[in-house]
Amino acid sequence: MMELLEANKDMLLFTGAAVLKIGVFLNAIMGFAGLLTLAERKVSALMQDRIGPNRASVFGFAFNGLFHPAADGIKMILKEDFVPGRADKLLFTLAPFFALVPVLALFAVIPFGDYVMVFGYQLDLVIAEIPLSLFLVLALSGIAIYGVFLGGWASRSNFALLGALRGAAQMVSYEVVLGLTLVGLLMIFGTASLQDLVRAQGRLLFGWLPAWGVVVQPFAFILFFVAAIAENKRTPFDLVEGESEIIGYFMEYSSMRFAAFMFSEFVEIILVSMLSATLFFGGWQVPYLYESGFILPGGAQFPLNHYLIAALQTGAFAAKTVAFSWLLLVIRWSLPRFRFDQLMGLCWKRLLPLALLNILLTGAVLLFLGKI
Amino acid sequence: MISVKKVDNRPLNFLERIYLPEIVRGLLVTSRHFFVNLFNPKGMPTVQYPEQKLPLPHAAKERTRHRLKLRADGTPKCVACFMCQTACPAYCIRIEAAEYPDNPVEKSPAVFDIDLSRCVMCGMCVEACPEDAIAMDTLEIPGGALSRAQLKLTKEDLLMTLPGDPSDKGAANRLANEHMKSRGEA
Repeated sequence: MMELLEANKDMLLFTGAAVLKIGVFLNAIMGFAGLLTLAERKVSALMQDRIGPNRASVFGFAFNGLFHPAADGIKMILKEDFVPGRADKLLFTLAPFFALVPVLALFAVIPFGDYVMVFGYQLDLVIAEIPLSLFLVLALSGIAIYGVFLGGWASRSNFALLGALRGAAQMVSYEVVLGLTLVGLLMIFGTASLQDLVRAQGRLLFGWLPAWGVVVQPFAFILFFVAAIAENKRTPFDLVEGESEIIGYFMEYSSMRFAAFMFSEFVEIILVSMLSATLFFGGWQVPYLYESGFILPGGAQFPLNHYLIAALQTGAFAAKTVAFSWLLLVIRWSLPRFRFDQLMGLCWKRLLPLALLNILLTGAVLLFLGKI
Repeated sequence: MISVKKVDNRPLNFLERIYLPEIVRGLLVTSRHFFVNLFNPKGMPTVQYPEQKLPLPHAAKERTRHRLKLRADGTPKCVACFMCQTACPAYCIRIEAAEYPDNPVEKSPAVFDIDLSRCVMCGMCVEACPEDAIAMDTLEIPGGALSRAQLKLTKEDLLMTLPGDPSDKGAANRLANEHMKSRGEA
């Protein structure tokens, strides 16, 4: 038995580390998504000079509304799980999974830190280090369209089907722009692995400017962010569901099935925030922080402990994620909704040509600098 | 006179047409509200309603929960004339009259119910009352209830004297009170 363990030590350690990383990272994301449901209501309340939910309490302690996500969850579980009589039972059940699972799977390739040395082993702070992880991101976010479309199709309701058609058209269109905006980054950094992309963003330009994606591709960042919000189906692009007026693809859903759709939207907020931070804002990079410690442009050095550096980098990634999530919430509560023809016009007539132009300009500049 | 407002619908310039600077301006407005309220929650106009109440502005004080006024001897001023029940547009008042054993002139309400779930707080009953017997000045705002029965006010709930109430002393009805007041006796 011991020999078997000894022989497969690397395998077992790898599995254990992977399970640990999945547990910690996924739980952090789920917890943050739960908090985001509260944050959405609190942020919107504060923006509108209101107080927001603060009544759900346990033994009289409300903590200014901290228990509202739990109360919402309990309420959702206790609601009747209704399936329309004419609905396609199998697809109707599958659709919420298609909405939630690809989004959660995407977090496997997002690096949340460089690496830590544990007992002489190098522990990469990313769940799955895949050489072409950027394409995996695009591919899996394409699968999320199935959740929207199956949800509308399987409920056999014309309103839900219309919502699903709108949703599929929007997501397919913006998927194209989303992919094309990232081509510039691929050309500059020459890698499609997110971890390598982040490592490449640690370099300095002109000796003092961190080579973050937003510095080398500022135009692509704006296009990417617009397309990502549209892909995420949030205001100002939320005419897929349009909570306040129009009816969306999950119209026939109730109870936890509905909660899965709702929750996937909040998980997508985190995903978009993490992708924006990873691709354009240096991921876990802290400016001037290297493996040995801070090295400022002037040459001053502040050596730091290895674990402190890892903690700082993971903390920086978390801070960037939270900041982007906040920005997404503020955008959702500031801007009015597009009309559908404006939405499609923006995608095909504005963003797509601009994304292509961005690729052209990036290529021209790289050619001029002699990097190709 | 019709007032005409001329709107200057000039075409948007380039910066406005690409929206981004305007979006940033809008975000600055909303995020300024966010941060100001985050660090100074006391500055928000919202109050925690049932625990914390704003003083009602002048006219709103006369449109709060009803009450029936009492005379100095403790009998209700109401003479069960059915004027309020007739005036009520929501049909929420129900009165049953009774007679005093020793008083052949006036009636009194044996039953006086107000169904708050139907009441529209219009104050017509107060206007209609010839005896100044019903008033809506308790400063209580009828709120939610767990059953319909809780929203039904009976005579016992309604009869009350507020401190400083002029009906504590004086004669039985309003006309007599005003007559005495004009002579300087009340």
